[in-house]
Amino acid sequence: MVKLKFVQANGTEIETDAALGMSVMQAAVNAGVDEIAAECGGACACGTCHCVLPQEWFERVAAPQDDEADMLEFVIEPQPTSRLSCQVVVSEDMHGMVINVPDSQV
Amino acid sequence: MLTDPASRISFDPQSTGFAADPYATYAAMRALDTPYFWESANTWMLTKMADVEAVALDKTMLRNNEDFIEDGDQKAQQRAINFHDMPYHERYVQVNLLESEGATHARLRKVVFREFSPAMIARQRPAIQDFVDTLLEELCEQDEVDFVAEFAAHVPGHIIGRVLGVPDEDAPMLRHWSEEVVRFFDPERGAEDKARAECATKEFYEYLLVLLAEREKAPKEDLLSKLIVYRDSGQLSQDELISTAMLILMAGHGSTIDVLGSGLHALLRFPDQHQRLRDDPNLMKTAVQEMFRYESPLPYFHRFATEDTEVGGKLFPAGTRFGLLYGAANRDLNRFERPDVFDVGRTPNRHMAFGGGGHFCLGNHLARLDMDVIFSTLNTRFTEMELVGAEPKYKSGLSVRGPKELRICWKRA
Repeated sequence: MVKLKFVQANGTEIETDAALGMSVMQAAVNAGVDEIAAECGGACACGTCHCVLPQEWFERVAAPQDDEADMLEFVIEPQPTSRLSCQVVVSEDMHGMVINVPDSQV
Repeated sequence: MLTDPASRISFDPQSTGFAADPYATYAAMRALDTPYFWESANTWMLTKMADVEAVALDKTMLRNNEDFIEDGDQKAQQRAINFHDMPYHERYVQVNLLESEGATHARLRKVVFREFSPAMIARQRPAIQDFVDTLLEELCEQDEVDFVAEFAAHVPGHIIGRVLGVPDEDAPMLRHWSEEVVRFFDPERGAEDKARAECATKEFYEYLLVLLAEREKAPKEDLLSKLIVYRDSGQLSQDELISTAMLILMAGHGSTIDVLGSGLHALLRFPDQHQRLRDDPNLMKTAVQEMFRYESPLPYFHRFATEDTEVGGKLFPAGTRFGLLYGAANRDLNRFERPDVFDVGRTPNRHMAFGGGGHFCLGNHLARLDMDVIFSTLNTRFTEMELVGAEPKYKSGLSVRGPKELRICWKRA
């Protein structure tokens, strides 16, 4: 298990233990991070699981694939370190990762 | 001898009982240990959220099964489902973004996704507000209206038409064509439905050709003009351009009318929730989300298994056809607390009214915006709204859900 910390737009922090191999989106949904709507269920088809990683964590996780990069252009207020949480797979080196969650994208 | 519990379920989507309340039947189907087999459609019906979600997200489950059946079989199958001998429909409706998979689906979806992103859709708000205001200005003089026919039916055609580049005066034709084509997707389609769907597709095609010729001469800032650019740069064939334009005009058309009707009906059936929304208009976003869950306007889609698979505790061979009953999954007690209660503040509300997986509804933001503008405006303009007469009757069939008419009276603010 890997500890992840979701920081919501209002500053509320939700910590959770995420299993290796699951997506950060799934970890957020399981932890009750309601702003992660994840409407398409993780198919990189809706852009509603948008999150923003701190620069240092953004650099440490695998870069977005083309389909995610395309989708990120269309989320509400994309940032340079934006990711779709459904496309970020939890791995051991993410222990302690902070994930900033913008307001719901729905 | 024990009776099979499934045999006790009376599943007749064309019946008036089902139209009045499909949810009792869905609940009985959900209570079964394994999926329900609908013999006349040779389809395994999935009603539990976990099963519906798993199949919608499974990349081996496809909208069509042509990739793994032989050409001859494909023709036989097309014939078996009565999708044959309708050249226009076969060419422009049976093959499109919705029916494609893999690389083709990704390419077609990418071409139009930008136009339906939240930021692009938000630009439509003033136009939607203008249109709604004008329509209500005419209607509010009447004490009583059929909200479906006199109001809701006029909205989506104008709005989607405007996105695509169809002149306002042609919007009524869009509604007609859309309904004629969509009704043929019902699993229980008949010969008359077939002839009407083919006729509508042909008329629609010929109409689009004229419009395309105009845009080629004088491009505008509309989607049709952009699709021409994609076609001319080789990213889209002419057939794909036509089928994409048709799909966009049809996909969110009848379903938006239906959910506008069922959404208002829900507010009128749950006056405490309507008042709650009036008292706190910030709940509009969750209220709209709940309207889609409570009466999902497109309650049924299908997938084919392309591999042997286990679904809902039962093994199925490749080629099995599954019915994804989104309308049933969205009332699953294992996912939603008090699922049969309409709750305008429900959070989280991760339902599947817009589908799931790669085919997730492209037009969801536009549909939500339509609803947001309309219900906000109604709540501001009218202090009271009430049902008139008997409970409204809902459409029959499995693939659509919405009231045939919704007679209401209202009192201006």
